[in-house]
Amino acid sequence: MLQVLQWLKRQIVEAFKISDEVMRSKAVETVEHEVAELDNIFGILVLGAFIGIPSPPIHITMELLPLMDKEFDIMLDKVLTAHDPLGHLFSVLGID
Amino acid sequence: MKSQLLFFIGKGGVGKSTTSALTSVYLASKPYKTLLVSMDPAHNQCDIFDQDFSEKPKRVSETLMVKEVNTDFWIEKYLKETTEQIKQTYRYESAFNLQNYFNVLQFSPGLEEYALLLAFEDTLHKYRDQDFIVFDMAPTALTLRFFSLPFITLIWLEELLKLRSAIYKKKEIISKIKIAGKEIEQDRVKAKLKSLIVNYEDLRRQFLSETTNVNLVMNNDKLSFAEAFRIRQKLSDISIGIDRIVINKLNPDESTTEIENEFKEQTIGRFPLAPKGLSGYAALKDYIEVYKETFQEISGNIEYRNR
Repeated sequence: MLQVLQWLKRQIVEAFKISDEVMRSKAVETVEHEVAELDNIFGILVLGAFIGIPSPPIHITMELLPLMDKEFDIMLDKVLTAHDPLGHLFSVLGID
Repeated sequence: MKSQLLFFIGKGGVGKSTTSALTSVYLASKPYKTLLVSMDPAHNQCDIFDQDFSEKPKRVSETLMVKEVNTDFWIEKYLKETTEQIKQTYRYESAFNLQNYFNVLQFSPGLEEYALLLAFEDTLHKYRDQDFIVFDMAPTALTLRFFSLPFITLIWLEELLKLRSAIYKKKEIISKIKIAGKEIEQDRVKAKLKSLIVNYEDLRRQFLSETTNVNLVMNNDKLSFAEAFRIRQKLSDISIGIDRIVINKLNPDESTTEIENEFKEQTIGRFPLAPKGLSGYAALKDYIEVYKETFQEISGNIEYRNR
């Protein structure tokens, strides 16, 4: 009997943990998207030369380039999905 | 005493190299430890001294050294270092693609003045023990870009840092909610931006400091007068002032009132036209011997500054 109760308790705690995690990530989903957008803007500002946009004095690009692998990925990714910005927005806002 | 930096700037062909060489030889004879640096990618100090120079300073006399900045060397060195860093941080596939883009970057406009800036920093760092470092600059356009580079760069860096800080704050919020309490790792880009800003602020301070003396070289004619006027305007936009006007190739009894009236705040140096041209160290020494009064003005300036 005790074992069953303990098992039940573990299950409940586990369930709470998972739902907590889900809630937490739901709460920051939009902010996360905003950060990705800002990262992209930062990437374009610094690395614009790579996608054909005039960039800052070239030595700034060169100094920061080695540290910006993530932003570079995001930027190239955004360039690839650039033809469907609305679809992207709808998926972020959870509209089907 | 901190090294005094003398920049010789002006229109192409007015005699920046000649006047800077003469000034250096004179200063070295006083005897101040003097380093003459040719920053013009089309070097001609080798013709004036009639010997070869390179990136490594060559001793011309006991107190005088001359070096020519090799911009290609600096660009190449810089690109190599950056490529190494990229290879270390990027994953293989993206680094592989990146290399192609990167090969194009080296032809970007703006690298030449950056190379000059790197060479300038390096010179300041290595030869701090000199009393005078004389810079023979490139013609107007490149020189103006060189001077404005730290100013423009700082504007960019500060804006980028603002944006980056905003992003970082949001990331902190996310991580606080998601993994409660845990600190997120320090942003390397932000740290780099900050260190770059410190670096360029140093450079800007150097350009604006008392130890930086800008000598504007001109001839007594309409064209170089007009250009001198524009240079002054452009430099004052970034609040760099002109300390001294050098009038080169003056004929005896030539009137310079027009220049004097226009540049009232600056001291004026007058270099008479050398009848046979100047080539070789001995010829430079002779010139200094013959036109003593030209150089008295320079020593007057030094005494004033050392007081």
